[in-house]
Amino acid sequence: MPNPTALMIVGALLFAIGVVGFLTRRNMIVMFLSTEVMFQGVLMNLVGMGLLHGNIQGQGLGIFVLVIAAVEAGLGLAIVVMLYRRRGTLDAENWRSLRG
Amino acid sequence: MSVPLVYISYIVSALFAFGIFVGLPKQGRFPRRGAFIVVMAVASAMLIYLLQLLFGAESRNITFCILAVLGLAAAIRVVTHPLPVYSALYFVFVVLATAAMLIQVGAEFLGAALVIVYAGAILVTYVFVIMLSQQSPEMKGRISAMLDYDRSAREPVWATLACFMLMAVLAGMIVEHPWKTVAQPLSAVATRNTVELGRLLMTDFAVSVELAAVLLMVALVGAVAIARKRLPQAADFSDHKAPGEAGKTVVPY
Amino acid sequence: MELKTLAILIPLLPLAGSALVGAIGLRGLKDRSHWLVLAGVTAALFCAVSLFYQVNTELNRGGSETAAAIGAHAQIDPSQQVGYGKLAESFTIYEWIPAGAADWLNVTFRVDPLTIVMLLTVLSVSTMVVMYSVGYMRDHHGHAELGYERFFAFLGLFVFSMCMLVLAGNFLLLYLGWELVGLCSYLLIGFYYQKPSAAAAAKKAFLVNRIGDFGFGLGILLIYLTFNTLDYQEVFNMVANSKMAGDLALSTERITTIALLLFCGAMGKSAQLPLHVWLPDAMEGPTPVSALIHAATMVTAGVYMVARCSVIFAASPIAMWIVGAIGAATALFAATIALTQFDMKRILAYSTLSQLGYMFLGLGVGAFDSAMFHLYTHAFFKACLFLGAGSVMHAMAGEIDIRRFSGLRKAMPITYFTFLISGLALAGVPLLSAFWSKDEIIHAALASSTPWLGWIGLVTAFLTAFYTFRMIFMAFHNEERLPRGVEHAHESGVWMSAPLVLLAIGAVFAGYVGVTTGHGGFLGMFEPHGAFHHFLAPNFSDAKGHEMTVAAAQGVAHGAGEHGSESHWLMWLSSGLAFYGIFNAWYFYTRRPGIPLAIALASGSVYKLFYHKYYVDELYDLVFVRPLRRLGDMCYACDRFVINGILWIIAAIPRAIGFLLRGWQQGAMQGYALGMVVGLVVIMWWVLANA
Repeated sequence: MPNPTALMIVGALLFAIGVVGFLTRRNMIVMFLSTEVMFQGVLMNLVGMGLLHGNIQGQGLGIFVLVIAAVEAGLGLAIVVMLYRRRGTLDAENWRSLRG
Repeated sequence: MSVPLVYISYIVSALFAFGIFVGLPKQGRFPRRGAFIVVMAVASAMLIYLLQLLFGAESRNITFCILAVLGLAAAIRVVTHPLPVYSALYFVFVVLATAAMLIQVGAEFLGAALVIVYAGAILVTYVFVIMLSQQSPEMKGRISAMLDYDRSAREPVWATLACFMLMAVLAGMIVEHPWKTVAQPLSAVATRNTVELGRLLMTDFAVSVELAAVLLMVALVGAVAIARKRLPQAADFSDHKAPGEAGKTVVPY
Repeated sequence: MELKTLAILIPLLPLAGSALVGAIGLRGLKDRSHWLVLAGVTAALFCAVSLFYQVNTELNRGGSETAAAIGAHAQIDPSQQVGYGKLAESFTIYEWIPAGAADWLNVTFRVDPLTIVMLLTVLSVSTMVVMYSVGYMRDHHGHAELGYERFFAFLGLFVFSMCMLVLAGNFLLLYLGWELVGLCSYLLIGFYYQKPSAAAAAKKAFLVNRIGDFGFGLGILLIYLTFNTLDYQEVFNMVANSKMAGDLALSTERITTIALLLFCGAMGKSAQLPLHVWLPDAMEGPTPVSALIHAATMVTAGVYMVARCSVIFAASPIAMWIVGAIGAATALFAATIALTQFDMKRILAYSTLSQLGYMFLGLGVGAFDSAMFHLYTHAFFKACLFLGAGSVMHAMAGEIDIRRFSGLRKAMPITYFTFLISGLALAGVPLLSAFWSKDEIIHAALASSTPWLGWIGLVTAFLTAFYTFRMIFMAFHNEERLPRGVEHAHESGVWMSAPLVLLAIGAVFAGYVGVTTGHGGFLGMFEPHGAFHHFLAPNFSDAKGHEMTVAAAQGVAHGAGEHGSESHWLMWLSSGLAFYGIFNAWYFYTRRPGIPLAIALASGSVYKLFYHKYYVDELYDLVFVRPLRRLGDMCYACDRFVINGILWIIAAIPRAIGFLLRGWQQGAMQGYALGMVVGLVVIMWWVLANA
């Protein structure tokens, strides 16, 4: 049985890698994939914490993370499709109407 | 013991961040393939070292270490590969590695669910969307033919710096924090894991499960409403297109 | 109906008509808008008549021997006091603020003989004018003018305001009515607001009235400070007893100040000498408005107010002297200007000024009832003259300059005869209404301590006769000439002619309520001071009782009454002057048209002075308007460059900060996400460091 702390470290690294992807990639689909990577990190951290506390609730919350991920993927990709139809590109830089 | 652990985790963070920086697409090329492999190898070694230190002398779980390295490497390729289709494929590796790690620590149900939901459902959605919207020309090693926004990363220096700090802070916290010792042995939790999880979801989390169901329903409706394609109206045919042509082009909103 | 109910109905009926017309006139009534207002005003007139009978009964019940007191009302019959005492109490209609014991703050009405006289005058003239307007505010094809419903809504509002003014039982409500009529005057002068001159005239009237009203407001405040109440009767009782609030003695200086401040308001509203400039310009309004508001009713509000406050004025000899002097000066001044004008409505406007001057002259010498009598008769013949002028104007397609047309006598017989009768009345020809009232005023003035006021009045009477008939002869006699663009003159329709005839009848016979017969007086029959004065006597009993005015009052009473023959020389003299003036006008303007021109050329600068209205407008422009405009320019410059500059600097600070910070706002989602991550890291680090 591995140490839960190791699981959490790997989860933290996964989360951070997802953050970099979200920050650097300009393709909106890849940005969403990066968020999925972040979800993996969060999931591993939840399970690890649950193990540390010696109960199963971390895994229960992990199920909900799965649900949220599914919802996010569905809605986010729908928005991506809509934005792509508007501009004909997936570049996130194209949507800068908040520019000061 | 704890002080070297923190520093080792910082070093691991720095190495991974540097690896990402090296691997990020720049001017549409992947010019530093060698440097990337070297940095990733060093980072993986350091990570394995860190994990071995964490496991302690009595239980060296080499399988877990290999899975962790595989998963992290695949995750880095997800965020660095210039082609979204490959990102999606690498993401499958991430999901599989994660699921394997979860099974290793005794969360079999969650691991299985992860594979089914992610690899089976979400990834398929991604691939569909990529096919729908990505008209990137055939690659064949000529990256210059790729789409402009896939060829270059956005502010890689600042992003990797922030990533390093995030990694360092998170990993340092996890390593350094005096976690409470668990009264119950881990194995006791792990034995009838799936049964326990089902009981938890049906008792303590019952309301949340219902809410999650509603949320999924709402998301379904919302996704349909957002992505609904407007059907061509009579006005769109006013310019007398050739038969068949009107259906080919999607009228933008 | 009960007295109180009637008193409430009188202002409310015109208001209801006006409000209804205002609400649905534009959409629903359109050309029929006049019916509601006409009905409201007529009903109010019937209410006023009914009220008159009730008050009369009330007065007579006080003492059956009142008949014996006719002509000798200087000695007050105690029984009259009883009957009047009941009427003098104001009754509450509506409470603004129920808290506190301040009754004077409420809407209180007071119905006494003075109120009745004013109500009857106002409402009868209003009814005529509303009728007349139905014909006047249309073109020759019977289509209503633009703003027809607006006109009638304002007219109804004016009648309501005027009734409120005269019914008020305390100074606060009086002030309210005072301002309301001012508002209506403004609205109606500026009725043709598309015309710049009308808009300017409306503004001028409003601003000049503000000056007077400011003084009036100060006067009311001072009354409150002095007497701690604003109720008429309480104030008058205290003044009559020379008491202030808290049983302190009332000083002459204070009562003089109060009287002069109140008179300030009267000067503005009644267009007396320094503040008269707005009235001639007010003729820019539609002619019925000029007839109703700027001749018959609203401008007499000042006279009414001074008469109402007769006790206060009578307590201050200086104030009385000033009132009389300003009245006389205005009378003469305006009459001289009227000699040289050519615009019919302006001649009539100056004539109104002059007649108002007469009224103040009468007030100033203590002949309050005579002044009210003149107000009452003046309303009829002046309204008739104005409406006649409007009829001419209607026929001449808006042309009103008497040099442009003449000889309308045959084409417009009804207008001509009514105009002639009213003109005769204005000129003071014997047996017509104004003769009695004007003569009384002059007589009272001659008998007072300031007889020179009476001589001014006599000179003015001659001028009045002259300028009135100069206008009549120029417009209606000689050979027929029409202004360019008018093919043939025509008589106005029945809506316009009927009021003219009715008012002309009033101009002839209205005076007979103020004379008695059978005492061997003038022409062996007529004697001044009849039922009218007797009716009003209770109102002025307090003032007449005062030391200063008692001599004047007795002079009038005795001179005209017991020792009759002594005073009849004045009647003969004034009628002689009237006929001489008419004869002169006839000779100058029909026989020898060259004479006026020769006189005008010979008198040169004097003529110019008269013709340019003594350059008063130019003087005001130089003394007040231009310095104020310069001051306004300076204020504008200050505002523009100093204050705006400071504000600009203050506004520039956030703008500069925003300019510096704006570079960060790239609008890119990932930029913001980077910021979020950095913030998250910093916070986690901080938490860890402190853990």
